[in-house]
Amino acid sequence: MIQLPCPWCGPRNASEFTHHGEVTSRPDVGTATPEQWRRYLYFRRNANGWVDENWYHTAGCRRFIRVRRHTLSNETEATR
Amino acid sequence: MSVGNGSHRAGNRNGKRKPQRYSAFGLFKRGLSRSDWPRVWQERPLKSTYDVVIVGGGVHGLATAYYLAANHGITNVAVLDKGYLGGGGSGRNTAILRSNYLTPEGVRFYDRSLHLYENLADELNFNVMFSQRGHMTLAHNDNSLRTLRWRAEVNKLQGVDSEVIDPDEIKKLVPYLDTSTDTRYPILGALYHPPGGIIRHDAVVWGYARAADAHGVHLHQNTEVTDIETAGGRVTGVRTNRGEVSTPVVVNCTAGWSTLISDMAGVDMPVTTSPLQAAVTEPVKPFLGTVVVSGTLHVYVSQTDRGELVFGASVDPFTSYSMRGSLEFAEGLAGHVLELMPPVSKMRLLRQWAGLCDMTPDYSPIMGPTHVDGFHVDVGWGTYGFKAGPVSGEAMADTVANGRPPEIIAPFGIDRFTTGQLVGEKGAAAVGH
Amino acid sequence: MSQQVGRMRLGPQPGEVIDRRRAFEFTWNGRTVTAHPGDTIVSALAADGERVFSRSFKYHRPRGLLTASFHDPGCMVQVDDEPNVRGGHRLAEPGMAVSSQNTWPSLKFDVKAINRFAGRFLTAGFYYKTFMKPEFLWPTYQKVLRGFVHAGEISPDTPHDYYDKRYAHPDVLIAGGGPAGMSAAIAAARAGASVMLVEEEHQLGGHLRWTDPAAAAELTAEVAATDGIEVLTNSTVAGRYDQNWIAVAQRDLPHARERLIKARARTLVVAGGLIERPYVFAGNDTPGVMLSTAVRRLINLHAVKPGQRAVVLTANPEGDAAVADLERAGVEVAHVADARKGEDVVRVHGRKGVKAVELSGGQKIDADLFVTATGWTAPTSLLNMAGDVPVYSPTAARFLPGGTAGESVLATGGIAGDGSLDELREHAEATGTEAARRAAGGRYHQLAAVPTRNGGKLSKPKGTAATLPQLPVHEHPELFRASTHGIVDYSEDVSSKDLHAAVREGYDSAELAKRFTTATMGPVQGKLETINAIATIAEATGKTIAENGTTTWRPMYTPVSLGALAGRIFEPVRYSPMQPWHEKHNATPLVAGQWIRPDHYGDPAAEVRNVRDNVGIIDVTPIGKLDLRGPDVPKLLNLLYVNKWSKLGIGRVRYGVMCAEDGVVMDDGVTGRLGEDHYLMSTTSSGAANVWEWVENWLQTEHPDWQVHVTPVTTAYASINVAGPKSRELVSRLTEGVDLSAEAFGYMQVRTGRVAGVDDCVLWRIGFTGELSYELHVPASYGLHVWEQLLEHGADLGVRPFGVEGQRILRLEKGHLIVGQDTDGLTKGYSAGIDWAIKLDKDDFVGKPELVWQHENGGGTRLVGIQPLDGTVVPPEASQIVNSRGTIVGRITSSRMSPTLNRAICLGQVEADLAKPGTTLTVHLPTGTKVGARVTEHHAHVDPEGTRQNIDTPPSQPRPHATPVARSPIPASGRTTTIAGWQVDARRSSATLRLADHTLLAKVGIRAAHDGSIAQALGTRFGRAVHDNGSAVIVGSGPGEWFVLGSPGSQDKLLTRMRNLVEETGEFGTVIDQTHGRALMKLTGEHAADLLAKVCGVDLSEAATPDGAALRTSVARLVTDVVRIDENGTPAYLLHCERSSGQYLFNALLDAGNEFGIEIDGCPTAPTL
Repeated sequence: MIQLPCPWCGPRNASEFTHHGEVTSRPDVGTATPEQWRRYLYFRRNANGWVDENWYHTAGCRRFIRVRRHTLSNETEATR
Repeated sequence: MSVGNGSHRAGNRNGKRKPQRYSAFGLFKRGLSRSDWPRVWQERPLKSTYDVVIVGGGVHGLATAYYLAANHGITNVAVLDKGYLGGGGSGRNTAILRSNYLTPEGVRFYDRSLHLYENLADELNFNVMFSQRGHMTLAHNDNSLRTLRWRAEVNKLQGVDSEVIDPDEIKKLVPYLDTSTDTRYPILGALYHPPGGIIRHDAVVWGYARAADAHGVHLHQNTEVTDIETAGGRVTGVRTNRGEVSTPVVVNCTAGWSTLISDMAGVDMPVTTSPLQAAVTEPVKPFLGTVVVSGTLHVYVSQTDRGELVFGASVDPFTSYSMRGSLEFAEGLAGHVLELMPPVSKMRLLRQWAGLCDMTPDYSPIMGPTHVDGFHVDVGWGTYGFKAGPVSGEAMADTVANGRPPEIIAPFGIDRFTTGQLVGEKGAAAVGH
Repeated sequence: MSQQVGRMRLGPQPGEVIDRRRAFEFTWNGRTVTAHPGDTIVSALAADGERVFSRSFKYHRPRGLLTASFHDPGCMVQVDDEPNVRGGHRLAEPGMAVSSQNTWPSLKFDVKAINRFAGRFLTAGFYYKTFMKPEFLWPTYQKVLRGFVHAGEISPDTPHDYYDKRYAHPDVLIAGGGPAGMSAAIAAARAGASVMLVEEEHQLGGHLRWTDPAAAAELTAEVAATDGIEVLTNSTVAGRYDQNWIAVAQRDLPHARERLIKARARTLVVAGGLIERPYVFAGNDTPGVMLSTAVRRLINLHAVKPGQRAVVLTANPEGDAAVADLERAGVEVAHVADARKGEDVVRVHGRKGVKAVELSGGQKIDADLFVTATGWTAPTSLLNMAGDVPVYSPTAARFLPGGTAGESVLATGGIAGDGSLDELREHAEATGTEAARRAAGGRYHQLAAVPTRNGGKLSKPKGTAATLPQLPVHEHPELFRASTHGIVDYSEDVSSKDLHAAVREGYDSAELAKRFTTATMGPVQGKLETINAIATIAEATGKTIAENGTTTWRPMYTPVSLGALAGRIFEPVRYSPMQPWHEKHNATPLVAGQWIRPDHYGDPAAEVRNVRDNVGIIDVTPIGKLDLRGPDVPKLLNLLYVNKWSKLGIGRVRYGVMCAEDGVVMDDGVTGRLGEDHYLMSTTSSGAANVWEWVENWLQTEHPDWQVHVTPVTTAYASINVAGPKSRELVSRLTEGVDLSAEAFGYMQVRTGRVAGVDDCVLWRIGFTGELSYELHVPASYGLHVWEQLLEHGADLGVRPFGVEGQRILRLEKGHLIVGQDTDGLTKGYSAGIDWAIKLDKDDFVGKPELVWQHENGGGTRLVGIQPLDGTVVPPEASQIVNSRGTIVGRITSSRMSPTLNRAICLGQVEADLAKPGTTLTVHLPTGTKVGARVTEHHAHVDPEGTRQNIDTPPSQPRPHATPVARSPIPASGRTTTIAGWQVDARRSSATLRLADHTLLAKVGIRAAHDGSIAQALGTRFGRAVHDNGSAVIVGSGPGEWFVLGSPGSQDKLLTRMRNLVEETGEFGTVIDQTHGRALMKLTGEHAADLLAKVCGVDLSEAATPDGAALRTSVARLVTDVVRIDENGTPAYLLHCERSSGQYLFNALLDAGNEFGIEIDGCPTAPTL
């Protein structure tokens, strides 16, 4: 069980959180082409290394937090 | 692009080698003479050029190589693996086979695979120990029961043996299941799929490897692809830790690393990678005759011929390239198995491990050509890649030989993620086993 | 008085662990055997003269005692209904029924032993090469193969025993209680660390127990005398996972047969010692061939004479010492072959037991015992799990740690090197001290990050990294295999010959050969076999052992029972306040996610008819409810729903649909406007949690600037839908302060008022059923009261409850879709028949682009009403709709026999070109027959015009009703009393650990900026609770979230106080009464934290969570608020969760408290805070 560095609660077991995946940015709804919109929906970097992610502390402070995680070692850094 | 004819010559150049046939009589003879069997496949030098380079020496890559040679006479082929053959997903999955999928395109595809598996031992002259002991997916609420009936109906219309059965029939097939109604997750029914079962995954890998090698295909272990060369939008070769290889065709048959390999060719993938964990117990005398799956409880279990229970679950709750496995997996697994079968509480978990799954948004694979000419993908296999090994090999070989994907994999092209024509397997999400 | 049990039992030994004064009996294959307390199953049997304990996997060769430890492959036995018990480790107990495994018909005569002669044909992987043809025979071959399964049996009657778990947060966890482990533990504890010392065997001491019993006793005493060391014997560190999450399996506790401890160790010290390695030669698995450590254990620990006449092959001092032990035990040592002088053996003779040993010189020596001391294996698996790659040392003839396990994992003792006892202890002490230093750093960072500390100054730990001494590595001959071939893997019956053959056949890497031969895959997990296997493979490939490398060791270190891994099974369930009534009236329960709901009360069809003719009431408490407050709520609604919300007037309700960003329908429900900036949103029952998270996601990540506070109030209200032509009559009889007349309270409107004497009820006039109906949302504690009053006062109107099934029929008759049933994972807005609701002219809403494109290109299926032409045929849901060519063109998503129309009615998804009303469809039934069906004009089959819900019967006058009674979700058992209108438990307990229901306390929730002036005024922050002038407690329960707890009935006073406090600041803040939305309980007693450590993973140490700490975490897998609020020095915790799970949490805590003698305490008449 890895721990995530919740900027509010301190280190907590990952099972308290919900993974919301890589940080994405939402295209402008007015102008987005189908290609752009579906890149936002479906395509991710999926890097083997450090990634910025959104997590929701479901069983804790109920804040959405941003965590920098290494996807191979699962080491984490708080970013907030 | 097509490499059809050119490589026919290459095939003859390589020269086929008839392998020693395996048989009971052969065993007996060698038993008496105490003589060795020939090598299952050859060590060969890495050539500077191949007609086709396949990245990934698992069941998908080896099957693709085998069918390229066997069905299309394309034998100037190299299969590159960064480790040993079958060391990735092929050696880490729980070897469950079935074809009772939700969508017509899914059912057609996996049923072809099952059919190929049924005749594989004979075709490859290698006993892959396919045990068609039946496959049972339990429903614990009316929603999942409805989805199972949905699958059953689609299956029947495609001629696949699959039906919804009630708790009494379930109890008859698996007496150790707790089918009482006062449990936290009462068993309301199940989708029963008699042709489903389990197989010896290593044997499938070795059988394909031996047969491909016999056709002159080069199998290169400990050969890691470090880059893919392209020029003018087409593939020209690959770099490896053992040197450069020029080739007009690269087939990405990796699982776990499919994004990273595709990145080398400049092809983006709608894929995220998550570990899928599995575990095995100490053996006990056989008591579980069918494969049992519970989507709601995220667990599937079967008993091997050696007496061990082999367990799997759904993919980990967050993406990762780690194959170290987690304790919470083992805990959740045990808890859920005991909900289903209390009597196994005194069995002991022997070993746990993890493999990597490339998940796609619609729980269906990505197969066929890409915008880079000569770079083909056979990826995005989620938790169901092993089931599809043979048909994928057959279809990818077809794609390489004829330069376009056959109809059976047409729905799985990468373009669907920009056109929005997703495949409907997601309707039956949760554990796919 | 002492007695001599067993003919091979020796006189008293200095270090023996048996109690000679007592003896008891157990059975072995039906025969009665006597044992002393302290005997293992195998030591007792060996003392009794038994030599054969099992038969081998493939060749069914007799197997005896090899290591006399946990890892003895030949000593796996069946004990009662427990398979694969380690006979070399499990203590014998009175009355045990022990039997040998894998033998038929008997251990002495085993029919399958015939395989021995077939051995030459059954080479490794033989099965890959045969049975291919004919295919039809393969299943038969399989049955034969399965017959050979080498294992015990489980019984279908085995119950799910009591297993347990707990969390731990030690500074230093030490795996291995030998001299090194004990020395490291003492040093670490003296350096101020909290230490957990884990030993697999039944005593501390490791090999000292037979090499130097006095020293073992001395060290053990020193450990006991040192503060801060928790000693766990008969326990195994089963696995090391990321960030030192460590699994410890603790066996044979008084209250549980096994317990899994999940420890977050700041530093792990691996001190597992060394495991002796068998030697490979012809007949090396014959009973009577033993390792030197095995004979020394037998003689010194259990006072058992291992044989009469021995030959010893020794390559090290331990082997030499074994010779001395043997002689002392009166065993005639016929010959000692010294491998250091190049002496060797060829084979042993004898089948059921050693008869003679043949030396390399050809000389044959009669003996019944052959002892080998040929080297060691370092059980480095815990280090491997931490990423360390061990390196082979030809000098030591074993693998040593690679030193790459990372900062938080250290190794000492035999694993790390050789040396005298003093050298080992010195190294261990240095390691323990360094482990403590590193842990202190970790503890500092943790404490600095938690908000629960009382603000005291944290001092950075001092001390600098110590460079650990290097242990010497002694010369040891590389001794793996003699000139002959023998067994490498005992559990799998894999010989060195098999491995050679596999390599020659091309399976020429460690991994491939392992997979092909299954070597090291068995229950011993390679602890005995790995080195010999790798050495043999190296030999066969012509590579060195170093080049070949070792194979990956994976968890578990030793197998752990599924029961222990499962532990107590925590599956939260949720009940509505009316559940007791449903149970009393034999409702058929329906499991819907975590909710247990009434499916029906006997006859769903009758329930439906009663709603259409008279009036029915249904418990719809699980419907998701979110309280939305703030000026920007309309913005939020416009963003999340596909329809428009800007113009929703106060008192109005609107239906809305939510789609995800891919345009797929996600949830639906109604939202009503209760006040200027106050809305109540309802969601589907199953979607409640997702929608809440969804809303928070958009607010927190996309629009943090919007002023909206979201509070989940799903179970703060008991929800009752009153439906039917007589519903207005019924509701008006009990409602005060609301004009229920058709003109004053129209369809799709909302009011608040008093129902059956209960204030603050929310009434919606909406309906899923198509009838005139009112949905009453009642403060949950009064739910049962209102439910009973409705039944009582509606008796003359024919009121009857209806269940979920009745509601499903009613809604289908009315054509309302159910998200997730009539839609699926790919159903976009326009495929759900909600075109009318989708407003593409809004600039933005979630999923808009996909819906625009679907609107333009018209992709996807369509939801339509369907009626089979033959009304008596009800197509099962999921029946497929096919075209003339048999291609699937749609499916039935909902289907029932309509009691109102007396015909089958359906909803279905069909391809767009078939959606036109009147289109004839072909439905393929599961039976295979095909029936015709027609697409209907509307989704609604009954009353498509919607006239029924508009009948305007006049309301009646309110009637006198019973006084409201508030009830807690935790049923009061036994004597009850009434406090402030609450019916509560009146019992008293003075037990040292008590659990008391405190739900009746007033609870007020506050939301505001976490660092603004409201926070200032409240006087506390997230993580801390403070007493507020004695009468109440203010808890900083989340960032920008507070709970104020007060005495029973004080909620209105508290509300006013807090609202004023908020208004005075002029800052945006929300104050909500949560008294009825939360279940609250108090746990008091010295062992309170120990109990919580069994169900809660958070570190509850004094340093991290002192008095006044407030946190939210998972307790028994339920999201729970925990507030430490000591009671004059005695530790006490308030725990609260959403109301519907209160009973679950209460029971889970009681179960965890059994071990500590917990008792239920009643609600205090005046709760002290």
